[in-house]
Amino acid sequence: MAVFLIRRLLAGILLVILVASATYILLNYTGSDVARNIVGETATPEQALAKAAELGLDRPLGSRYFDWLGTTLSGDLGKSWFNNVPVSTTLLNGLPVTLSIIFGALVLSALVSVILGSLAAVRAGWFDKTVQASAVLADSIPGFLVALVLAMVVAVNLGWLPATGFVPFQRSAVEWLRSITLPSVALAFGATAATTLQLRGSMLDVLKLDYVRTLRSRGLSDRRVVFKHVLRNAAPPAVTVLSLQFIGLVGGAVIVEKVFGLRGIGSIATSAAVQGDAPVVLGVVIVMVLIVVVVNLIADLAYGWLNPKVRAE
Amino acid sequence: MKRKLILAGAVSLALAMSACGGSGGAASGGAKAGGTLNLAVSQSLKSWDLAEASMGNAEQYYEPVFDALLHMDSKGAPTANLATSWDYDASLTTLTLKLRTDVKFSDGAPLDADAVKANLLHTKAGKGEAAALIKAISDVQVTNPSTVVVKLSTPTPSLLRSLANVPGMIASPKSLTSPQVPVGSGPYTLDAATTTAGTEYGFVANPNYWEKNSYPFEKVDIKTMSDPTARTNALLSGQLDGAGISPDRVDAVKAGGLKVDTVTPGVVEGLYIWDKKGAIVPALADVRVRQALNYAFDSASIVKIAKKGLGTPTTQHFTSDSEAFVPELDQTYKYDPAKAKALLAEAGYANGFDVVMPDISSLFPEMQAAMVEQLGNVGVRVKLDKIPFDQFMPSILAGKYAMSYFKTGGADPWIAIQLIVSKQATWNPFHYEDKHVTDLLSRISTSTGSAQVALYKELNTYLVQQAWDAPWDVVKDVYASSKNVQVTMHPFYQTPPLFNFKPASQ
Repeated sequence: MAVFLIRRLLAGILLVILVASATYILLNYTGSDVARNIVGETATPEQALAKAAELGLDRPLGSRYFDWLGTTLSGDLGKSWFNNVPVSTTLLNGLPVTLSIIFGALVLSALVSVILGSLAAVRAGWFDKTVQASAVLADSIPGFLVALVLAMVVAVNLGWLPATGFVPFQRSAVEWLRSITLPSVALAFGATAATTLQLRGSMLDVLKLDYVRTLRSRGLSDRRVVFKHVLRNAAPPAVTVLSLQFIGLVGGAVIVEKVFGLRGIGSIATSAAVQGDAPVVLGVVIVMVLIVVVVNLIADLAYGWLNPKVRAE
Repeated sequence: MKRKLILAGAVSLALAMSACGGSGGAASGGAKAGGTLNLAVSQSLKSWDLAEASMGNAEQYYEPVFDALLHMDSKGAPTANLATSWDYDASLTTLTLKLRTDVKFSDGAPLDADAVKANLLHTKAGKGEAAALIKAISDVQVTNPSTVVVKLSTPTPSLLRSLANVPGMIASPKSLTSPQVPVGSGPYTLDAATTTAGTEYGFVANPNYWEKNSYPFEKVDIKTMSDPTARTNALLSGQLDGAGISPDRVDAVKAGGLKVDTVTPGVVEGLYIWDKKGAIVPALADVRVRQALNYAFDSASIVKIAKKGLGTPTTQHFTSDSEAFVPELDQTYKYDPAKAKALLAEAGYANGFDVVMPDISSLFPEMQAAMVEQLGNVGVRVKLDKIPFDQFMPSILAGKYAMSYFKTGGADPWIAIQLIVSKQATWNPFHYEDKHVTDLLSRISTSTGSAQVALYKELNTYLVQQAWDAPWDVVKDVYASSKNVQVTMHPFYQTPPLFNFKPASQ
């Protein structure tokens, strides 16, 4: 197990370096005069040239790349070209926002999909049909629409929850929960639909197996059979789906963060990419790849925990 | 039964959460004397270093902490602030300022002539938009602790107005070398506890401020919100007291009981003719062709349809706040495609001509559609060049396009000239020069008062006759504010300055 972990971590680090280097080189070929955009519309051409020199943009790509690689490997992600805030600060401010709403979405998605997926599989009939139809419908509604409707109705018209902004957990747990509820629900919408259908399918497969019949014949209650035995066996594929969802949710977070005025990793990434703020884009890329590596690792571990056959291999 | 329980649980959780909330929502209703003023700005803060500062709606970040040498009244005339009086010499290249003697920075240092000197030289040497406005300062001399003499390399008629904005803001000299935290003498100080860099900046009242009456709020909170939907929702739900909104939200915001004002930042939009030399498109060197382009546009319908009425049709670069404005000039080029075609034919372009322009459909689809169609109607065939938006300005500056849609300007005529007209103007990428214009500019810079105003008007008239560009309208920005506050829009400031916000009850 330890060898497996170390191998995966080393591969992860290599992946981070490769992806970040490729991004670095691609960013240099966008052909845009970033310095001009930084100094703004009313600045003089001399000011734009001075800015370019300050950022080292007048130096050859090769020497800049190795400088960047050196400082990055030493743990320094540099400063934003546009607001001078250290990239590490921006990421540390943004990560809790994005992770909070993704965490909220995953918890919601897992809870709702376990309940609806299992019930649909066990009960069948009209309930099953309703769950399936709703899931297909929910999956087809774009996330931004859900976000807009929730913001308009629940936050603006009803005034139940804040329309914008994020409150850190340390400042107030209740305010934190209030600030992430609507974004999490918006984000969870599509993910829940997919996971519910996945779980319903694998539950149905497991329910057909001989051992379930044996358990039932022994007089175990329905609830015990379903939640203790069937769910555990049906869960591994759903965990895979959830871990993939996590990565997909990072993408969905971009839009949800915009609608709710949250400065998370998603909105940081888009605004930095549009402006050509290379240090921030690179910082986000590094963090994203790290997250994907870690999530995959956790999913593998969870899979092993849920499925003893994998552990034995 | 089980389902009902879950539902009941969810509802009670939601109710509990909405009940114990309030501090972040509308209930705070902070905008009373002693309360909190909540604002949002669409741009992010570039730097606390004034030498790097940008302008436009970013001005609001600096106003709480840094006090400026001057203020402006609603007519654009300078009024006393940190400087109590000011005086130009006859050559208009030496400005003497007398300073208040009772002002201290929040770090305890006195605000004196040395501090002003250090600041003006520091800001001017920078690379920000604020720096560009005072680049003509060649030296600053200290006569005594309350008198400072500003030397200019060339007369700069916009200087006093610039000193009433970010370029005239004064930071504590010690903070100039380490501008990570802003230290000024302004009405508020930055509050680290409620500040998240890049996202939200909290300010608390400065107990030692010399004129507290102008700033009745105990706290100011400024959030960075680039998304127009988020700004609108935050306004509608009471999280904000003021923010700029996009024109298509006006109806929704009014329906939500908010006040909506328009601001004219002095910006004029339309077809800008970069290649007046005819280097890429020879036709543009002929004044008749440029005039034809002016006749080709139905500005009134562009404003009505593409801008939803939020603009004022015009044919000149100077807006009604500006001394150079000549109302009659707006009648110069009435929409007349037949006349445009006749002028083109007279100039030898009876079959029109081809031109490549940057594609702006991602940002201004209606404007682009109107522009291409109306140019096409008079025989100007537009080929659109798809470029990423971050390359829009750099490629114009690099002289890649002969003409394009653009918007720029300034309520102060001299600032507008430095942006659009002079040979070295930023937005004169081909460095086009007209001897008559150059002569007028030098006479304007060395004159004052009514003589200067007359020359500004003469220049404006000449530019319109020469069809310098083909403007469509004066841009109107929309600023929405809650019922909790009274806001007065102010010409020459792109967003309402902080001293123009008062609690509604006052």
